[in-house]
Amino acid sequence: MVTEKELIGKIGELRQIRPRKDWVVLTKSQILGEEPKILFFPFFKPVLATVTAFGVLLGIFSLAQNSLPGDFLYSIKKITEKGQAVFVSEEEKPAFQLKLANERLEDLTKAPAKNLAPTIKEYQASVSEAAKNLTKIKDPEKAKKVVMKIQELEEKKREVEILGVVVGETKTEDEDSNLTTSQIIEWQIQYWEGEGETLSEEAQEWLVKANKYYEAGPEYYNLASEALEKIYLLSYPQE
Amino acid sequence: MANPRKTFSKIYDQYIDKIYRFIFLKVSSQEIAQDLTSETFLRGWEAFKKSQNPTANNQKIENIQAFLYKIARNLVTDHYREKGKTQVISAEYVSIIDPRQNLEEKVMVRSDLETIRRALVDLKDDYQTVIIWHYLDDLSISEIAKIMGKSEEATRVQLHRALKVLKNELNHND
Repeated sequence: MVTEKELIGKIGELRQIRPRKDWVVLTKSQILGEEPKILFFPFFKPVLATVTAFGVLLGIFSLAQNSLPGDFLYSIKKITEKGQAVFVSEEEKPAFQLKLANERLEDLTKAPAKNLAPTIKEYQASVSEAAKNLTKIKDPEKAKKVVMKIQELEEKKREVEILGVVVGETKTEDEDSNLTTSQIIEWQIQYWEGEGETLSEEAQEWLVKANKYYEAGPEYYNLASEALEKIYLLSYPQE
Repeated sequence: MANPRKTFSKIYDQYIDKIYRFIFLKVSSQEIAQDLTSETFLRGWEAFKKSQNPTANNQKIENIQAFLYKIARNLVTDHYREKGKTQVISAEYVSIIDPRQNLEEKVMVRSDLETIRRALVDLKDDYQTVIIWHYLDDLSISEIAKIMGKSEEATRVQLHRALKVLKNELNHND
């Protein structure tokens, strides 16, 4: 027999009947036109927003890394590179700029026709920036790194030129390009002269030739660069 | 003046469980209970907005809880009228029309609750209503009397009879 008190107690247990929480939130938003709130972990909301925003930014930055000069997202890639440049010391700037120039040459191998001109322009700007800062390098190790970067660049340039793309700074009619090339060759000659007696006899002979071609003027800069490459290969044999 | 949306948002939070439970116990289907509950609050919100406009000739809502219950009750009545169904649904029918294991239905699996629920849905509508309002939703006799349009004394008697019938029903089932 159920007593009245027990019965009232049992009726009270029916309070366990509740609507689904997600339905409650959704219905409220539909009726009042409010945004549904995250129910179970409200403190996750700002975290979720941050994570989402971070994810979107990360996605844009990743896409931007594959963009080419002239593309919509290239400006983001450039901002990223500029941001990286802030943390690079004055002495390391030439190596950094040469790395960027190298990347632009790499871009040229995959650039569609519309991107060629802006990519070449970016490449020239990076090389020019590197050339201007060469004199700031005092540390021999950093100088060596730059020499290596220049050689990598020369190699990549040849690869690009094989594909029929002329990157321009060796053209004799372009004064700015000549200045840049002149600065790079002159700096390399000084670098190898600094190495002095550590150079092999053959390397020293190529250094004399490089100097001669350099002094002969812009028409001979190509030959000067080739002579410097010989010195590099003789001094730092490739594995 | 308070923002009506904000105010009604609080009202919604305060009464959504009660209104849903009230309707669910009468229709014994989660889907129908959800439909009728959202319709109750939608109508409630429309009326509440109008009541907040002092220039219009709108009736002021004096007791929002009573108002929502009235809407819910009318909707349940309309639902059965439209569908041509009887309001008293047997427990067997419930399991046929809504066999899913929803949260509230899982609760029903527990025999005690299931027994009381079955006994409750077998009561006539007015008895069900007074029991739910008084013992589940904690409405006072005077509040129930106002909503049902009866005197407090008549309501008290009705509640007493309802409880007696329910008790008999349960003892009979035992």
